[in-house]
Amino acid sequence: MKNFTTLKILDLFRVIFERFEIDYPTMRRILQVKLTMDGRRPTTIMSQNRGGEKKQDSNQFLKSLWFYAFIGLTLIPILFIGDNFMFKMSLIFGVLMFLIMTAMISDFSSVLLDVRDQTVIGTRPVDHRTISAARAIHVTVYLFFLTAAIVSVPLVVGFVQFGVIFALLFSVTVLFSDLFIVAITALLYYVILKFFGGERLRDVINYVQIGLSFTIVIGYQVLARAFEFQGLQSSFEAAWWNVLLPPVWFGAPFAVILNGASGAYYYVFMALALLVPLIALWIYLSLLPTFEKNLLKLMDQAGPSKKKTTKGMNRLASLLTTSKEEHAFYQFAERMLKNERDLKLKIYPSLGFAIIFPFVFLYNGYSAGGSLDSITSGRMYLTIYASMMMIPGIVIMLQYSSKSKGSWIYHVTPLQGEGVIIKGTLKAFLIRLFAPVFGVISILYGILFGMRIIPDLVIVLLIAVIYSVICFRMLKGKLPFSQPFESAGQSDGWKTIPFALLIPVFGGLHFVVTNVPFGIWFYLALLLFIVPLTWQRGLR
Amino acid sequence: MDHGPGKILSLKGLTKWYGEKLVLDDIDLDVYEGQIIGYIGPNGAGKSTTVKIMLGLEASYSGEVEIFGQNIKESGVAYKKRIGYVPESADLYDNLTAREYLTFTGELYGLTADSADYKARLLMGVFNLEDVYDSRISSYSKGMKQKVLLISSLLHDPDILFLDEPINGLDANSVMVFKEILAQLSSQGKTIFYSSHIMEVVQKISSRILLLNDGKIVADGSFEQLRQKNKEGSLEEIFNQLTGFNEHQNLAEDFVQIVQRDHR
Ligand SMILES: Nc1ncnc2c1ncn2[C@@H]1O[C@H](COP(=O)(O)OP(=O)(O)OP(=O)(O)O)[C@@H](O)[C@H]1O
Ligand SMILES: [Mg+2]
Repeated sequence: MKNFTTLKILDLFRVIFERFEIDYPTMRRILQVKLTMDGRRPTTIMSQNRGGEKKQDSNQFLKSLWFYAFIGLTLIPILFIGDNFMFKMSLIFGVLMFLIMTAMISDFSSVLLDVRDQTVIGTRPVDHRTISAARAIHVTVYLFFLTAAIVSVPLVVGFVQFGVIFALLFSVTVLFSDLFIVAITALLYYVILKFFGGERLRDVINYVQIGLSFTIVIGYQVLARAFEFQGLQSSFEAAWWNVLLPPVWFGAPFAVILNGASGAYYYVFMALALLVPLIALWIYLSLLPTFEKNLLKLMDQAGPSKKKTTKGMNRLASLLTTSKEEHAFYQFAERMLKNERDLKLKIYPSLGFAIIFPFVFLYNGYSAGGSLDSITSGRMYLTIYASMMMIPGIVIMLQYSSKSKGSWIYHVTPLQGEGVIIKGTLKAFLIRLFAPVFGVISILYGILFGMRIIPDLVIVLLIAVIYSVICFRMLKGKLPFSQPFESAGQSDGWKTIPFALLIPVFGGLHFVVTNVPFGIWFYLALLLFIVPLTWQRGLR
Repeated sequence: MDHGPGKILSLKGLTKWYGEKLVLDDIDLDVYEGQIIGYIGPNGAGKSTTVKIMLGLEASYSGEVEIFGQNIKESGVAYKKRIGYVPESADLYDNLTAREYLTFTGELYGLTADSADYKARLLMGVFNLEDVYDSRISSYSKGMKQKVLLISSLLHDPDILFLDEPINGLDANSVMVFKEILAQLSSQGKTIFYSSHIMEVVQKISSRILLLNDGKIVADGSFEQLRQKNKEGSLEEIFNQLTGFNEHQNLAEDFVQIVQRDHR
């Protein structure tokens, strides 16, 4: 097993761990095993090959960092907006913390809440504290890499532009923001674990995670607004409610040291940036043993067995599907989407975004000048296309499941082709996930823009159906729910980009068509003809 | 029942609920050095749960569990050093190789990496697995995985063994080796607590048999004692009798009928 550089660096902090009565050598050993395992691709049920073992371990995660490095490039222009560091840096920390926090919640929560370690490590003489610490460090190491990937290019650019003080300051504040995120997330889970148990607990965690992802996006909008009113150049006016925006805390040291800003608010922000992460970390470390004990509650599967199937939904299922097999897969996919928490966690936040984004675009159009009247009589309703942005991201998630090993069932049952599996799943996705979102937006838009947009809404719906079929091609024949989550990499992020770029094309086409007399009716008729074709031809 | 002097394990009023379901109902039990305890009971009786509690995998129970004379809730984790455990489901880090996994778990018990590796390789050799020592466990067959679990539980020479269906998936030859290993360990004073559904094996190697049913221990004694008390020939028959089961013929008929029934 490799002696990872990461671990050698960790050795420097050995004293701190021992301070908290953590068995350092054991923790190090656990981390070494964990890092080794991360470097290995999980073998999916149908792709196990003994020959593969000889291959060099290559960490999938490290490969996915390129994606984050690419996103990091978008931070560079922000560095050059005006001279006000408070503004620039708050914005940068806003983006950074958004990315890290979402990664933390959706990708690393499972590590923090993992109970599988209990049977392998927990039954050996290793105390709870050490297991928990190993787990937290494991997460931190990854967040650290992730952050490094995002900030390293901006850091170099900043160093060249603003000098060494900036670079130092940036490194330290970034480190603190990472600590802040790990500690706060862990504490949040601690509180939830303390107050709930059993099946309920997992539901609560799931809702909190989804809600949190949602809040981050909203908070992000608020952050952007905090500066909007002053214009880009003018100075930042601190207000009391900025205390609620952590990115602003981390922007303050830059303003004080590089802009020479002063005032009570700045000092408060700086103090928060410094103290909150440390205090949160300290609380977390002191609570470690109880954290682990409460974590055991997650193993308790007991709960009232629910049995709820609504008649209406069942009838809809039979109506929409054309064969017994397809019906079976429709229901199967529906239940997976409803019951599998990891999947919900990855999917539901983007559903929320799908509802918000059209309105964000609408609002931006509004604040860019334009009266309410001119908007409602215009064609801003085409912003509804923004709700389709979630489709590629969700469709690509449909191949994963935390119980992917169960997918042998696809291979042993006498199915004629895989079309029915995919059709059933796709229909379940459209009905259970897309339709509600689309319905909500349609109603609101209908009120806002009037009945005249109904044919347009139908067009958008048909386009969404075609578009989902197109997106399903991304899976390249991987069956739904058949891949373990561990094999999901950020390469998925890359894959969705070209598909997402299709959306403005559809929107533009729609816009052109509205300029032609009776254009939308012809377009509508054409789509009604195309949709069945795509379903027959597109899904083989 | 004759037993050595040392009391190794003692349960006092052990009670465990899963939600609304009472799994273990006020169980009292003393286990002495050198005993081989066969722990049997119907599916879902709570055998695995008992073992998990003793290893600290279940924290929410009432009653007292004492191992090596100390309450496990108070004694910290040190007692686990002298325990070996084979879990019921093959829960292990299967994207490690056997070498990596066994060295790792050995080290968690305080062995040095070298001695763990050395012993593990020899033990793998005993089970004819030295060829795959450096292959990933995920490529192993079921029985091969089970052997890794067995080795991992014994590597540090524990004083008490908790084996939850340890011979699950082992071939007949390996079962013979395994039985012999248990016999030799117990003659050295090691205590073995194992659950199994294979009645012949339990009957043959256990010095004491515990039957768990409906959350209570309904039989406790050596095979001879149970046989005298219940006037039955084999452990299987005793098991049937004590769990109140005598309708296997009817149930089987029902089952087959339902399978072949034409719906609609
Ligand atoms: N994590 C859990 N959450 C809720 N209930 C559980 C959990 N684990 C076990 N149970 C319940 O506790 C009871 C006892 O389970 P246990 O696994 O101990 O049975 P067992 O005797 O080992 O059965 P088997 O012979 O099938 O291995 C069962 O009714 C089961 O439904
Ligand atoms: Mg069991």
